[in-house]
Amino acid sequence: MTAPILVLDRVTKRFAGHTAVDGLSLSVRAGVIFGLLGPNGAGKTTSIRVIMDIFQPDEGSVQLFGERAGRDHSARIGYLPEERGLYPRMRVLDVLVFLAEVKGVPRRAARLRALEWLDRLGLGDWRLRRVNELSKGMQQKVQFISTMLHDPDLVILDEPFSGLDPVNAQVMKDTVLELRRRGKTILFSTHIMEQAEKLCDELCIIARGKKLVDGALSDIKRTHGGHHLVIGFDGSAGGAQQVFADKGLVKRVDDYGQYAELELAAGADAQQILQRLVASGARLSRFELMEPSLNKIFIDLVGPEAARAEARPEGQAVHA
Amino acid sequence: MRRVWAVVRREFVERVRKKSFWVMALLGPLFFAAVFLMPLLMSRGGGVKRLALVDRTTTTLGAVVAARLDSTQRFFVVRRLSGGASVEDSLAREVGLKSIDGFLVLSDSLTQTGVAQYRASNVSSLDDIGLLRETLGRLAERARLERAGVDPTMVARAQIRVSLDTKKITGGRTTEESAGQSFSLAYFMMLILYISLLLYGVQVMGSVIEEKTSRVIEVLVSSLKPFQLLLGKLLGVGAVSLVQFAIWGVSGRLLLGQRAALVSRMGGVDPEVGQVFQVPHVSGATALVFIAFFLGGFFLYSAMFAAVAATCSTEQEARQSQVPVTVLIMIAFFGSFATLANPESRLAVTLSLVPFTSPIATPARWAAGNLSALDVIASLALLLAGTLVVTWIAARIYRVGILMTGKRPNARELLRWIRTA
Repeated sequence: MTAPILVLDRVTKRFAGHTAVDGLSLSVRAGVIFGLLGPNGAGKTTSIRVIMDIFQPDEGSVQLFGERAGRDHSARIGYLPEERGLYPRMRVLDVLVFLAEVKGVPRRAARLRALEWLDRLGLGDWRLRRVNELSKGMQQKVQFISTMLHDPDLVILDEPFSGLDPVNAQVMKDTVLELRRRGKTILFSTHIMEQAEKLCDELCIIARGKKLVDGALSDIKRTHGGHHLVIGFDGSAGGAQQVFADKGLVKRVDDYGQYAELELAAGADAQQILQRLVASGARLSRFELMEPSLNKIFIDLVGPEAARAEARPEGQAVHA
Repeated sequence: MRRVWAVVRREFVERVRKKSFWVMALLGPLFFAAVFLMPLLMSRGGGVKRLALVDRTTTTLGAVVAARLDSTQRFFVVRRLSGGASVEDSLAREVGLKSIDGFLVLSDSLTQTGVAQYRASNVSSLDDIGLLRETLGRLAERARLERAGVDPTMVARAQIRVSLDTKKITGGRTTEESAGQSFSLAYFMMLILYISLLLYGVQVMGSVIEEKTSRVIEVLVSSLKPFQLLLGKLLGVGAVSLVQFAIWGVSGRLLLGQRAALVSRMGGVDPEVGQVFQVPHVSGATALVFIAFFLGGFFLYSAMFAAVAATCSTEQEARQSQVPVTVLIMIAFFGSFATLANPESRLAVTLSLVPFTSPIATPARWAAGNLSALDVIASLALLLAGTLVVTWIAARIYRVGILMTGKRPNARELLRWIRTA
């Protein structure tokens, strides 16, 4: 097991009126893709800002690369903030060189790398245009390039997929995987579980500033999974409703009419359900015993929390 | 330090690339040129006035007046005629047709009660009217004295004009600067300081707001300490202002050097005519005082502008919130202006010691009065101390403010921002 590259130890951050991050501890090993998952307002961005030393934690501490975190580490971290921003009136190449320079990259090297990345992401012809002449998607790519120019060991991406079309989301995903192949560590936050499920090696789900679960994706699925059954109907569902209602067999059901996801009751046998369904006159196109989706785990874990979070009366004076 | 340097370079390069910088760079020399060519252009617009002289005197006074006016080289008497009221009507028509610029009606009442009439298309040129009045007055005086039997040579000697030679004394030595020159130098420096402090302070404010509204700030503060960012910004904009001054200074010097040539090309009039506005001599020490106090004031006020911008989320908000800072600069300017006539007054001394007003007041007093080096150093030391304190406070407000959005902080919240470590 490699040494953790990032450790949060009981980090708490309060803003006037509410606690954005509440005793959060987590540990990210070098060379993995780590997902920080949570509903809106869970404290993902605040946690990341604490890691980036933009906010000081009220309690707890952050360790980066085995040392106490500070601005000095920023040269080894690539950071894509949730709220993207570039100087609108500067030329693309100039912005990139500048943002690399403030990370300590010499000017000449910054220029070469910027040109290389621009070509790689198909923006070579745009290097002398002003940022505000670019489309939103192009600006996103430019910003992404800016997080890579100093060849960071740890890349922190806050909602990297938001606002990207499918083609560019694919490019982003490929780039993230490529980074891991080169031995980099990637921490990214998202509330889109499909992306997280495909990419993450490890993850942490938080809600209302608190950690609900963390660990390797496969472990989480095992422990939080239970037995899940996916059923597809071919036209007629027959008496499936009655079968699903049997608490001895089915603990929980997501019934979509032509499709249903079941969580089996403890000790129930899937074969028994199959027999009962066929006997009730249902025609089946699919009957599959499977792991739950991350989405399902997320909703099970976060659902009640998120509902409560929304009921919180006061707004957030500062960005959460 | 390389990171701060990157910020300095960005602020400098982006600003110097802008059109507005070069517009300002050109406006400076144009302004200088206007200042010293304007009197010339105005007099050329009038040129030599062509007059008709309606002579109803019974003496030779009319002929003497005509000769004397011609010798001023400002008036040329086209013809001398006599006649009744109808002549005046026809001359008025000629003025309308612009074949003459005006006419002068003389009668014996000039010597008796001192009355004459001047009719012209332009009677607003104070110089022309003054010259006319003085010429007529002297001639009438002489005519009266001679009629009373005074010796003409005696009269001529009595009428010798006083020419007052004014020179400023600095540090116990007489300089070549006249009263007009030191006033215009002080005024000039005040104006440039006032405009520059506002101009570059507002630029710093705009730069902070741009980073906030475009959200670049978040990437920046994850790479740099807020203080490094603020420092780079101030140094960058400050460097732009120094380059601007250098452009103005060099072009001003070049223009002055070429003045005689320029003046002769613009109309071939004797260059002395253009010297209504006296061009002050700017010594090395004066330039040094100017630059030192500009830089002090620039850092003081720009830090305040940056702090104001950090508490705002939009440009409109910032424009409203900057008013207290702008008012301070205005107090400095108008206060110094009011005390310019009396640079030793208690108010003037106070203004040049308070850090918020001294960036304008002290250079003005230096130029107008005769501050000792010690006075200047005391004022500069106070300014430096004030700048350090204000920048320290501003940097703390800036550090918290740049990441805030939404409601502006009230005074209590601001205090908390300043106190938080």
